[in-house]
Amino acid sequence: MAQMITSAVSQAAANFVEAIRLFLPRVVTTLSIVLAGWLIAAALRLVVRWILGWLRFNAACERAGLAQMLKAADLPQADVLVSRMVFWIVWIGFLLSGVDVLGFTVLEGLMASFILFIPRLVIAVAIFVAGLLAANFLWRATLLTAVNAHAPSPRLLAGAARWLVLILAGAMALDQIAVARTIVLTAFAIAFGAVMLGLAIAFGIGGGHVARRFLDRQFPGSPTERAPDDVSHL
Amino acid sequence: MPQPSLLTDDLVQQLMAVGQVDILVGIPTLNNASTIGPVVRAVHLAFARYFQRERTVLINSDGGSEDGTPAIVRDLSLDEPDTLVVRHALRTTHRISAPYHGVPGKGSALRQIFAAADLLQARAVAVLDPDVTSVTPEWVRALVAPVVGDGFGFVAPVYARHPLDGPLVTQLVRPLLRAAYGLRLAEPQAAEFGCSGRFAADCVELDVWDTPLAQFGIDLWLTGRAIASGCRLCQAPLGPRTVATGTHRPGLSETFGQVVGSLFTLLGTQADTWLPRTGSDPLPVLGPPAPPPAEPARLDGERLLQSFGTNVRDLKSVLDAILVPETESALEAAALGQPADLRFPDDLWVATVYQFLAAHHQGVMRREHVTQALLPLYLARTGSFVLQHAGTDAASVDAALEALCLEFERAKPYLVQRWTGAPSR
Repeated sequence: MAQMITSAVSQAAANFVEAIRLFLPRVVTTLSIVLAGWLIAAALRLVVRWILGWLRFNAACERAGLAQMLKAADLPQADVLVSRMVFWIVWIGFLLSGVDVLGFTVLEGLMASFILFIPRLVIAVAIFVAGLLAANFLWRATLLTAVNAHAPSPRLLAGAARWLVLILAGAMALDQIAVARTIVLTAFAIAFGAVMLGLAIAFGIGGGHVARRFLDRQFPGSPTERAPDDVSHL
Repeated sequence: MPQPSLLTDDLVQQLMAVGQVDILVGIPTLNNASTIGPVVRAVHLAFARYFQRERTVLINSDGGSEDGTPAIVRDLSLDEPDTLVVRHALRTTHRISAPYHGVPGKGSALRQIFAAADLLQARAVAVLDPDVTSVTPEWVRALVAPVVGDGFGFVAPVYARHPLDGPLVTQLVRPLLRAAYGLRLAEPQAAEFGCSGRFAADCVELDVWDTPLAQFGIDLWLTGRAIASGCRLCQAPLGPRTVATGTHRPGLSETFGQVVGSLFTLLGTQADTWLPRTGSDPLPVLGPPAPPPAEPARLDGERLLQSFGTNVRDLKSVLDAILVPETESALEAAALGQPADLRFPDDLWVATVYQFLAAHHQGVMRREHVTQALLPLYLARTGSFVLQHAGTDAASVDAALEALCLEFERAKPYLVQRWTGAPSR
């Protein structure tokens, strides 16, 4: 009986040692992959930042108004942000490859899913960046037009235009990466519809005279109908 | 020689029938049936009275009028008593009306007129605005005679107007161009001008005609081109300029965007010409100046200043990207208080304009947005100037405008520094 127990324990110990002997190289391989991945990702981050600097990416973002938005959101400069994103995407890729080497059944296929996810993530980011650019352009155009047309509350109008585009872009980006798709779409449809209905009712009730004034100004009955001090500035 | 596509076969045939000419007067039109008649009569009277021995032609370049303008130009009778002299002219009176092709706008019309002048080897070219009701035969003489008689290459007009009129010219276009190019031009943005045939032929060859500058700012571009090309410039007093009241002109916002956008773009394309220049020189004025009207246009200074404070606050995030912090703070301080008490001093206005020009050059945002953002500040500056000088005589206003021009000149090194400096603030 004692011999049987001894034999079982020694067998278990031998198996454990054997498992460790087999698993340890995998751990070392994983650590090597993760470390190498970190170095490669860090190098890529520097390269991407250098290329973006050479392309004057920050100046372009400043022109497009993106830099201002990043600053307002307390985010780093555009080139730093992009290079960090590249770093994390590459390093997470290596991290998952390393985890895959360990051979855990529950983590199998994670790498494949991640690789499939990357293009969707890139498209989602591109959609959101395009949305940011469009929103900022629309904000500035609306603000300047409203100020020059002496419209009431130009900042409110411009802010509303910006947020509508941002919400639309955000919903599209989230839909692309399939994050809570149903909730996002339903919430977006309800919110967008509510805002539009609210604006239409508010404008219909309170802004009829504004609309009339605007239309009168845009489509005058004859070219001689001008404000008393609307003289030529040339 | 002009490119063949600029002139249709039909137009070339008509021009060949005219033959070589000494003087060509061009009138670009688009639906000007109500005003074109007197302008055509004035041109023919000028030909008969002042250029009897010269070979002359009037060319109307039309942009597709739907009110019969070309027919009026072609068929206008000159038999009225005041035009009797035309019938006894020594030479045949030639008159051609032809549609132009290309980008719609005055630029394409002028291109066709210049190409025709090149083909006909005209010695002098004058261009008139068909909407102006105060055109007289003397206008044509004033624009053409310096070219034919004195060998000038470009003749800019001087209008008789109260110094408080045309604030976009007096507050911005004139002082900025004077400081930049170092020439004291009274009307750099004029629809009427005279030039030599050689200048016209040189212009045809340039690749500006399909750009927005030709479409919206051809008058400014021609002035800039005349200065940059080194041809001899002079000015000719024309008298008061009156535009027909029924004429549909674009609103202030559109006009301001076109004029200031063209002005800034012109300076951007000719930086090599104006950057090294300092000070300013007067230009010869050929002829006695006409007395200005006693009353200025009705500009309500207080109303122009009414939105200054709110505009500066509303545009803060846009101005942040264009102005340096000191100028922005000074603007904010100037915008505090009641409209009647607000003042926009010369030095602040000059700094503002120069920083906007540099921002436009560096492309800190879409260039249309830069010019749009300047409009509320221009209105405030104009309002402040009008309030300050409303009760004073024309000579005092002239002196104040001269002081503004000198301030623009004094601060030019600052503009050069910003222009050539680092792109970001």
